[in-house]
Amino acid sequence: MTKFILNGRPVEYTNPPEEMLLLILRDTANLKGTKYGCGAAMCGACTVHVDGEAMFSCQMSLGDVEGAEVTTIEGLSEDGSHPVQKAWIEEQVPQCGYCQSGQIMRAAALLAENPQPSREEIVDTMSANLCRCGTYNRIFKAVERAAKEA
Amino acid sequence: MTKANEALTISRRRFVQMAAGLSFAIGLGGVSAVRAATSAGSSLDVNHWLTIRPDGTISIVFPSTEMGQSSYSTLPQILAEELDANWDDVVIEQLNADDRRFGNPLFGNVLYTAGSTGVQAYFDPMRRAGAQARDVLLQIAARELGVSKEELRTEPSAVVAPDGTRLGYGELAARGADGASVPEVDAVTLKDRSQFRIIGHDVPRRDVVAKSTGKAVFAIDVEVPNMAYATVLRAPVEGERPLTINDTEARAVPGVLDVVALPDGVSVVAESLWSALGARSMLEVTWSEDAPARAFNSEETLRLYAEAAEDPEAEQAVWAEKGNAPAAIAAANQTYSQLYLSDYAYHAQIEPMAAVASVDPDGQGAEVWAGTQTQSWTTRTVMEVLGIEQDKVRLNMMTMGGSFGRRTAFAQDYVRDAVLSSKAVGRPVKVIWTREDDVKNGTFRPAAAQRLEAGLTADGKLDGWHHKVATPTVIGFFNPVRWDAVKPNDVISMRGAESKFYGIKDFRADHIITPRQARLAPYRGIGAAYTSFAAEAFMDELAEQAGRDPLDFRMDLVADNPRGRHLLEKVAEMSNWSNQDGRALGLSFAGYSSSMAAGVAEIEVDQSTGDIAVKHFWAAVDAGLIVSPDNAHNQIEGGIIFGISMALREKIDIENGEVVQNNYWDYEIARANQIPPIEIYMAEVDAPPVGVGEVGTPMVSAAIANAFHRATGRRLRHMPFTPDRVLDTISA
Repeated sequence: MTKFILNGRPVEYTNPPEEMLLLILRDTANLKGTKYGCGAAMCGACTVHVDGEAMFSCQMSLGDVEGAEVTTIEGLSEDGSHPVQKAWIEEQVPQCGYCQSGQIMRAAALLAENPQPSREEIVDTMSANLCRCGTYNRIFKAVERAAKEA
Repeated sequence: MTKANEALTISRRRFVQMAAGLSFAIGLGGVSAVRAATSAGSSLDVNHWLTIRPDGTISIVFPSTEMGQSSYSTLPQILAEELDANWDDVVIEQLNADDRRFGNPLFGNVLYTAGSTGVQAYFDPMRRAGAQARDVLLQIAARELGVSKEELRTEPSAVVAPDGTRLGYGELAARGADGASVPEVDAVTLKDRSQFRIIGHDVPRRDVVAKSTGKAVFAIDVEVPNMAYATVLRAPVEGERPLTINDTEARAVPGVLDVVALPDGVSVVAESLWSALGARSMLEVTWSEDAPARAFNSEETLRLYAEAAEDPEAEQAVWAEKGNAPAAIAAANQTYSQLYLSDYAYHAQIEPMAAVASVDPDGQGAEVWAGTQTQSWTTRTVMEVLGIEQDKVRLNMMTMGGSFGRRTAFAQDYVRDAVLSSKAVGRPVKVIWTREDDVKNGTFRPAAAQRLEAGLTADGKLDGWHHKVATPTVIGFFNPVRWDAVKPNDVISMRGAESKFYGIKDFRADHIITPRQARLAPYRGIGAAYTSFAAEAFMDELAEQAGRDPLDFRMDLVADNPRGRHLLEKVAEMSNWSNQDGRALGLSFAGYSSSMAAGVAEIEVDQSTGDIAVKHFWAAVDAGLIVSPDNAHNQIEGGIIFGISMALREKIDIENGEVVQNNYWDYEIARANQIPPIEIYMAEVDAPPVGVGEVGTPMVSAAIANAFHRATGRRLRHMPFTPDRVLDTISA
């Protein structure tokens, strides 16, 4: 039995502790906003917050988050009202949208730690996540907007 | 019905049920009196494209599929414009069937979302469908108010009388269409562009909120009751099959339900994806190992293609011809020729292939959830696999996590795998490919070798152009039935080689159809992704041979294309082309289908590492009328980034029939820190829309190659321009 806090609520799962956290979130907790893209820490579609830090959930096991606080896109806000989400909507960032939960979680963790990042810091941080549709420049603008409006 | 579907779409079946009670519908292009006794409270169904409900809700059918290009919003906007609807009243209904009434006229009415055709193909029919309905609403209002139709006008979702009386569309629908008639589609009055309130305005995309909150539902997210998960161990080489399967250990993994032999793989079905993946790794399978594809090696393939491109005796299918290019070149003052190479490339869409199938207990029907670029071929795949009729296939088209041509095939193996797995275990099954599965079993942009030859006049003008493209037929592989109808003309392999934006008096482009040595598919930009690289890199070399500025040299060729000339002038102005000031700029002029784009790249070359950094990109684009300007900007910018990515890094190798690459660590696509500022100008023209999804891509690689020449004095003629190739080119 593994216990942790998921989106602010205590949860406990009997899945094998070595099971990939990403699959626990998607298929056991039924939080489908976090995506599988590569399983190899290369694309960032699976990015969630573990104790406030942006992590690749495909690189963590259920056992790794025992006692931790895990936040997924569903827990970032109930209704898309987090400043990063508002900025994403305002800038009309997504195209296919598949990578965007991970992008938003990465950006939200950045701003939580560094509320006024430089363009260079934004670019560096966001380079952990891939977007095949090529929305990067809008992502930069949205992060800057969120920093300004938060 | 799943939550998935409720969130994003209302199924066509439900749509029909809701519309029940009314009574009139007309065939495509046909006319009829609005038959039907309508009763108070029913909806209005003027044609198959839309339904107006008494509560004022307007349902508009979305006939394509969504993969990021935003047709899901854009196409219904076109109809809403002519209906004069309030966009907020519109609900969008995904077409979930191979219903050819909604077919893509640019693909022979197959339901097919590809080739940047969505807006181009549906612009006219959806405008007319909206205008028909508006006309009927005016007739109803005229009857109700006892005035003539001509005295009435519309405002968003309402008919307004001269005395100011307003009747909402929902209210009019509820009052019924007795006595009204549906005008011929050709006879309806369309708005003048100056009257547009939606088209050409920045109406937010409908899917952006869901995609910013994790609520958008992709095929990989679909969850249906009692669903199991499957992962497939696929044959390492195309055309091979499992001979023996030792699944003892795999079956012993907790949660494993079954191990199912497929024609070219072994499916492991389990209660969780984790169990399925674990069990898959324990399978011991021997493969037939006798496929001809075992002999495929990409280096050797490209060498063969280069030989074919160089061989004057090679059989050539003429792709485009004007005047007599060989004669003009032979007689020219000076001739010049070069060979260009490009490797296989992979789509790398971030959502890997996934599908859910629920086969009926009697095996005579199935419900399927999939994200594909074609309702038609997905339906056909299910029909073929189960041997059933079309009406037994219940389809749910899901929004796709990118596609770029990946999900276009006539036979869709991931859908097939889900259907066969579900049939075997008697439960709904979700099949998911891992990233490695998708890379190893990818369908690629073909490798190509291109020989270009041209003549120059004594005063440095182009005098004859001959472009030979040695590459396989893509259509012949991914849609053999289509190939039978079109061969030897393969637009997927050859697009761009027609260089149609230039007026070249003596012109010829040939397709040397080489043997296929990999799985192939359309890819963003299709042929133009490599033909425009070769053509525009060669154009720059010709300008150099002629001792002329690359812009000036191209200007000769757009004398009869004022819209193209405007783009070249514009991009020169944006990039300050005439004052390069130590910057390394490269120009390119290409496009996609009838959409044109001129681009300038500014690059820096690290001569010690061989890395090329694109520092800035300027583009001037003419895609005709733009329906959604903000989205068009996003699409074009994305297309340019796709072009940068494929030009610099993207390359698939094949050894003994197996794909060498595995995942994003060895198939690198552009990251945020490789993206330059991009400035885009979109021409405002009075011309029909011709598409924005791919126009950004084809120009990019040559712009980079041409800038590289400015930086180093050397030419890059083999795409991608990887660091090792850059270093070889510099030191050669």
